[in-house]
Amino acid sequence: MSFDVFHGVLFGVLALAIVAGALAVVLMPRITQSALFMAFTFLCVAGMFVLLGAETMAAFQVLIYVGAITVLILYGVMFTPQRTGHALFQTQTPWAAIFVAGLTLPAVVFAFSFRDAPLIREFGGDLVPLGTSLFGEYAFAFEIASVLLLAAMVGAIVLVKRDED
Amino acid sequence: MTVSVVPLGWFIALSAVLFFIACAGVLMRRNAVVILMCVELMLNAANLAFIAFSRRYGAADERGSVFVVFIFVIAAAEVAVGLAIVLAAYKNRPTVDVDEVRVLKG
Repeated sequence: MSFDVFHGVLFGVLALAIVAGALAVVLMPRITQSALFMAFTFLCVAGMFVLLGAETMAAFQVLIYVGAITVLILYGVMFTPQRTGHALFQTQTPWAAIFVAGLTLPAVVFAFSFRDAPLIREFGGDLVPLGTSLFGEYAFAFEIASVLLLAAMVGAIVLVKRDED
Repeated sequence: MTVSVVPLGWFIALSAVLFFIACAGVLMRRNAVVILMCVELMLNAANLAFIAFSRRYGAADERGSVFVVFIFVIAAAEVAVGLAIVLAAYKNRPTVDVDEVRVLKG
């Protein structure tokens, strides 16, 4: 068979939702709405991971992005003021829009130039190869990443508590 | 034997569109928290491209997905430090608009 209709329809719906959600993040006037649309976009990207057969990464996406990062950013929204009736965009917005629009079309055309390849494994998930790589070949990088998280945590605490000493 | 699925180019094109929409958000919005959100969306677009390539081209050990795991870690660190910087700047001067934070400007 040439093209699985179910996969195609699912891809179309998810792609439309992702693009609409990202546009809503950029264009919504209230920051809380932007944050919620960001969570929606992350969820749709997780659906795209499932469509690609990477179920473990979809689970991580939901746990880390939809869970942790969205909550963190919502805290940031709550701690900062929301001024309504204030200019939403910066002064260089027209130039930025022209710049980005000019780059998008060549990038999309370039994206279709990749030779298509079949899936490596049909089903069965990506957990076993991912774990084998992560804790075998990349075990040292994994430990360094934990040091990075520790440094980021200490840095965040120091930045916010700076003027109490 | 294998069911033909959505071609690779569509995933990469979607990733590019998501990346550039978020890039436009970084360049256009005033609010620093929205800029952080758009940076997260850009990282997520890169993740989508990584996983698409990893599932189609990669060897059997899923190296692209390993990169995505590290991008998750770095995104979490980045948003924690970024929000701390935004909140510190807000305590310094009561604004989160990047146009008005210009203390370092000569």
